[in-house]
Amino acid sequence: MKSTATQLGTAEIGRTFSWVDLVILLSVFGLAWTILHFGHGMTVHFDEGQSPEISTDVRNIPYYAGRTVLRMWIAFGFSLLFTFAVGYAAAKNRVARSIILPALDILQSVPVLGFLSITVTGFMALFPGSLLGVECASIFAIFTGQVWNMAFGFYHSMVTIPNDLQEAATNFRLSPWQRFGTLEVPSSMHSLIWNSMMSFGGGWFFVAQSEAITVLNKNIKLPGLGSYMATAVEKGDNTAAVWAIIAMLAVILASDQFVWRPLLAWADKFKMELVESGQAPQSWLYSFLRRAYIFPWIEEKILRPLADAFVQLKKNTSAIKLIPENPRKLAGRWIPRILGVVAGCWLAYQVVLGVIAAVDAVYNHISWGQFGHLCFLGSLTMGRVTLMTIVATLIWTPIGVWIGSRPDIARFAQPFAQIAASFPVNMTFPFVVGFFVAAHIGINWGSILLIAMGTQWYILFNVIAGAMAIPSDLKEAAKTYRLSRWAIWRVLILPAIFPFWVTGACTAAGGAWNASIVAELATWGNTTLRADGLGAYIAEVTQKGDTPMIICSIAVMCIFVVLTNKLVWRRLYGYAEKRFHLD
Amino acid sequence: MTAALKPSSTKAAAQGPVIAELCNITKTFSVAGGRELKVLDQIDLAIHEGELLALLGQSGSGKSTLLRCLTGLTAPTSGRVMAYDKVLDGINPYASIVFQTFALYPWLTVEQNVAVGLMAKLLTRAEKEAAVEKAIDLIGLNNYHDAYPREISGGMRQRVGIARALVAEPKILCLDEAFSALDVLTAENLRNEVVTLWKEQATSLKSIFMVTHNIEEAVEMATRICVLFPHPGRLGLVMENNLAYPRNPHDQEFERLVNVIHDTITMQALPDHPPEPAPVSGRPISRARARLESIPTVPVGRVLGLLSILQDHPELDNIYDIANEIGKDYGETISLVKAAEILEFVDTPKDEVRFTELGKKFMDADSDTRKKIFAEQVQKLRLFHIILGYLEVQEEIDRETVMKDISTALPYENPEKILETMIAWGRYAGLMDYDANTEMVTRPEEEEEEEEEEEKTEVGG
Repeated sequence: MKSTATQLGTAEIGRTFSWVDLVILLSVFGLAWTILHFGHGMTVHFDEGQSPEISTDVRNIPYYAGRTVLRMWIAFGFSLLFTFAVGYAAAKNRVARSIILPALDILQSVPVLGFLSITVTGFMALFPGSLLGVECASIFAIFTGQVWNMAFGFYHSMVTIPNDLQEAATNFRLSPWQRFGTLEVPSSMHSLIWNSMMSFGGGWFFVAQSEAITVLNKNIKLPGLGSYMATAVEKGDNTAAVWAIIAMLAVILASDQFVWRPLLAWADKFKMELVESGQAPQSWLYSFLRRAYIFPWIEEKILRPLADAFVQLKKNTSAIKLIPENPRKLAGRWIPRILGVVAGCWLAYQVVLGVIAAVDAVYNHISWGQFGHLCFLGSLTMGRVTLMTIVATLIWTPIGVWIGSRPDIARFAQPFAQIAASFPVNMTFPFVVGFFVAAHIGINWGSILLIAMGTQWYILFNVIAGAMAIPSDLKEAAKTYRLSRWAIWRVLILPAIFPFWVTGACTAAGGAWNASIVAELATWGNTTLRADGLGAYIAEVTQKGDTPMIICSIAVMCIFVVLTNKLVWRRLYGYAEKRFHLD
Repeated sequence: MTAALKPSSTKAAAQGPVIAELCNITKTFSVAGGRELKVLDQIDLAIHEGELLALLGQSGSGKSTLLRCLTGLTAPTSGRVMAYDKVLDGINPYASIVFQTFALYPWLTVEQNVAVGLMAKLLTRAEKEAAVEKAIDLIGLNNYHDAYPREISGGMRQRVGIARALVAEPKILCLDEAFSALDVLTAENLRNEVVTLWKEQATSLKSIFMVTHNIEEAVEMATRICVLFPHPGRLGLVMENNLAYPRNPHDQEFERLVNVIHDTITMQALPDHPPEPAPVSGRPISRARARLESIPTVPVGRVLGLLSILQDHPELDNIYDIANEIGKDYGETISLVKAAEILEFVDTPKDEVRFTELGKKFMDADSDTRKKIFAEQVQKLRLFHIILGYLEVQEEIDRETVMKDISTALPYENPEKILETMIAWGRYAGLMDYDANTEMVTRPEEEEEEEEEEEKTEVGG
């Protein structure tokens, strides 16, 4: 991003090096050392027989937290790469789009956690005798948990770039790279950062879950906060468990303060509107970084000469091959096409192989009766998801509207709700299960609460956002006509927050399916509570390593999710878009 | 100010080498219902070095499409585009566009936005900075280097647009309604500066090609003016304008040119028809009944507004004065007058506008009678029989079918816009209703249900 560097170089920024630059330099070196330090631990020897021992000593928490955070960022890095590559391809190429969009749609409804056992065995085969295989499986789980919605978001903002801005780029003959850097990424920046923030928040759930897993009847623990928690619960060490929760909260808060807030403050200028917006997001770290001289210095002394040298080089080479322009142009058109076809064929071949293998494995293993049982379990879980959505809506809608119509409270409450949604509630499940045991609450009902703990927040902060977006003239009009409280709700508030509620409830329901795998089979010390449902079933066959049943049960869950998406949420979206759109 | 001709320079200019040329260009778009809409029809147009060519046309006449063909942003369906003596393949390297909406990147400063015009060139940073500085200086943007587009006024934003276009060193500058989003004073100032830029030839710039709907703007700036007739877009009038700069709008010759263009557009939009045949047995036959005629896509409220202004100001008798009074441009005013004429409320011999007997009756009536008269007039229009015919035999008819019929009947018009207008007129006349949820055109609801309907609309809005 050439543009940003130049911006930092202008206006109110210091002209000499100061202590600010020293702090930044030290932080950069510190960060590099930390990454190496934690990264080293990822490649240590690993033997399937004995997984690394997790110590519940509180002094080890910083190290474990570091490992967890590193995993998150590696997964996020891959997600970002995938987002750019796939989103770009979908926006630019018609053929690619017709494959990518439906594929993303299905993939984002697949309950990732169910696949953990398959991916773990796969990655372990890839890196025999090294912990890296398990690390990869964990990172892959986080990746699949966060990437789809980012890719969708990027694709969507790519195709909604205003036409005149596109035409300007075409008219001034920007190269594809220049177009990408000057127009396409900046115009998607705002939504990209918001989506990343949401996805990253969702990732904590998967990292906590995937660090301590039971696959093929073997306990595998990766050093990290999630496994620390699991070990503490196994040992019944409550103090350690509380420390783990505190550490997790601290890590989430730190990511917010050190990464997302500064990014949001920086990205404010990428908003599309040409009018000054009301209140720009603030970040102390961003203000601090803007005082540094080091960025303009790098721009001036390193990037500029480099760019000039590059231009010089290109000038020299282009002078030589001026004449054979046409063949290159032809090749430039055909090579990517041939590569694309080859890659597509290979991918299709692999998919077909996989499907054949899966069908073969399943065919001899499962009877129609078993399949019927799976569907019955699926409808039980579906009942839980539906009940959770309804109850959460009834509880949080009034609260969300109350908060949303008081801007000063909303400003404080919204980030809080976001952090609450980020917190991996599966870490607190053991305590809640302990409470269920003590209070004699059946897990069949209790699991609904467990599911709700993770997903209800999406409903809350979407409702808050909806209530905040109600134009004040509409509110004033309602007041002028002296509408009754109920009439205001019916005529103004409910229609206005409906589109936001649909988004929130759809996300919550989607997350609930994933959460059911964790929530329906919960452990507290030596007690294991098992609810009747598809989630518990998947969790069980995963632990046993029964591949055909894993495939079947996940397939059934996918069918449930895809069907509800198509039959319920897609229609509600359409209806909301048509009837209740405020512009 | 004299209306002296400036024969030497402009004549030479017209004979200068051709920078860009459209050869027998036709452009069609596919519209809803899988139909093809022809926007440009067999256009031949050459732009010579040294001229300032203005293309005049109403909105929807295809002038922006023509500009996009010329600059290579869209490829014509048939025909060739030439850039100097080569057939154009891709983007025209000699042309830069200045956009109506400015098309600035909100995340780049003024300086960086201008530098976008240089991106295709292999230049070192120092060379780029010098070029940007020169353009900024030339266009009067000093001290705005580090401002963001959202911090500066519309006029300043368009200056950035012009600087960005100039820094690419084009031979031809394409102005796509570049002044129409600006206020009157700012636009006037900027127009003068653009003409000066072109006249002084301080840059690589040889010619300007401007697309506009503003007749005075064209006459004030251009050395040659082309009028594009709509549906489908084809070249009508082409005329030279040799007035000396700076041009004075109150100059006799200036006014004459404006009038010639007015007359041309009026004759095209509101042709004088032979007198109508005598009414037969109480049921008058409109000429729109004999021949299926399109309707101008204007809202009912504006037509009524026009009529009431005509009533209040009897002294307003020609379209030009009306346009001035209501503050709309000539093209839009003509559309309004044409709508009133189709409904037989006014008559338009040449460019005069007079109330008909029916029009006077309509203006004096109360709102219920007005509705009734309006409905009678709408029913005479053959275009409306497409929908009314369906509604005679069935409760409702889906939008797609109606659109298909419209595009069969009026192949050069946008069926979506026509249908939108028809529904608006039909609703006012109480002849039909439209349900946006089911996308069905329906018979109007009975009177007693009307109140409930109103309440619904309120909730939805």
